[in-house]
Amino acid sequence: MAARPRVYRAEGVILRRRNLGEADSILTVFSGSEGKFEAIARGVRKARSRMRGHLEPLTRSRVLVAQGRNLDVFTQAETVDAYRRLREDLDASAEALYCLELVDRFTVEREPLPELYALLVTALDLLEEGNGAAVTRHFELRLLALLGYEPHIDGCVLCGERLPEEETLLSPAVGGLVCRRCRAEAGGGRIVAVRVVKLMRFARRATAAEFVALAAPPEVAQELRAAVADLVRYHLDRDPNARRFVDGVGALERKD
Amino acid sequence: MPEAGAPEPIARLVQEFSKLPGIGPKSAQRLAYHVLRAPEDDARALARALTDVKEHVVLCDTCFYITVQNPCTLCDDEQRDSSLVCVVEQPLDVLVVERTGGFRGLYHVLHGSLNPIDGIGPEQLRIQELLRRVEGGGVVEVIMATNPSLEGEATSMYIQRLLQPLGIRVTRLARGLPSGADIEYMDDLTLSRALEGRQEL
Repeated sequence: MAARPRVYRAEGVILRRRNLGEADSILTVFSGSEGKFEAIARGVRKARSRMRGHLEPLTRSRVLVAQGRNLDVFTQAETVDAYRRLREDLDASAEALYCLELVDRFTVEREPLPELYALLVTALDLLEEGNGAAVTRHFELRLLALLGYEPHIDGCVLCGERLPEEETLLSPAVGGLVCRRCRAEAGGGRIVAVRVVKLMRFARRATAAEFVALAAPPEVAQELRAAVADLVRYHLDRDPNARRFVDGVGALERKD
Repeated sequence: MPEAGAPEPIARLVQEFSKLPGIGPKSAQRLAYHVLRAPEDDARALARALTDVKEHVVLCDTCFYITVQNPCTLCDDEQRDSSLVCVVEQPLDVLVVERTGGFRGLYHVLHGSLNPIDGIGPEQLRIQELLRRVEGGGVVEVIMATNPSLEGEATSMYIQRLLQPLGIRVTRLARGLPSGADIEYMDDLTLSRALEGRQEL
């Protein structure tokens, strides 16, 4: 890796924070130029810290970072977008946290992924504008595609045969849709409706805004959600923690 | 790891001290040698204070504040307004609110805040206990005094939604500028909320 300058600039979204010692925090930032990185924010837990509000998780900030011996250190921070409306909405917050966790789990440190960064910012902007879970679906599918985990959905992934217009098996293990004849070799999966496949195809070419504007019927959206969750779980080897929170918040709403 | 060369009791004490938050190996050594040189009474008092904390301090069954009697002195105080419940993240937060002297209601300590990414969910906090307490009746207003952080806000909103069907008043501490702060360095979120919450001079 090329040596970084002693002090460098980055614009990124704060993914998470963990406390260090009495008043410091270690923050994980996902930036366009540096990829994901960690750095120390000194004194950031004190009331009078100048950087505190600018380095909250789920904030898009411009930061100046100095290289340290072990961990780098933030020297300046300025908010680009605090996503205020998003933060004040429980459902939108839950969706956003889920997206942040996905980025954190799917990326490695110091690998610039400017396209994924742009995708994340777009997703957060759309959630800020009051859009819902459809934002997350598009984000998940595009994230998988950008990182090379895109499922093959144009034909049977095993034999290449064209698929008839009927419900089909989606197998995360073999990486895509599987025709009836190949099912036995697919190693499990989920039967998805034609409309779900069409939605996945649409997500490939549509921008996030276009995808959200499509407003899929709730039962199709629900099925897509489960199908994409299968893919995410397969590649991460677990469910993201925030998924439970999204579910819990959703359940709370349905009760009243 | 026991220190090479030091007698076993000292090494053990160093090791115990180094488990404390913010205490590195050097500080642990200094503390251990300090105890060694200190009068025996001081050492016994320290030992007793340590064991007493574990033996006598429990969580209040009602508010989950730390206490030596159950219910705690706060919950037991009939002068306090039991229709007001102030929800805080940590036991220490109770002390801070008490210090202001401006609150005469009761408390509810959650023992943390929701952190969906780290997997801290509602079931790890005293949230169900709060719900049952409010359902039990007599509470008119719940004041959310969680931290103004992402986790604290999420916790507040979650509890607000949970309590909503009960029809009680749920309020949130105001957000504004801390005293001694610099407007120049204030983050947009705090400043815009402070602007909204401005008051007549």
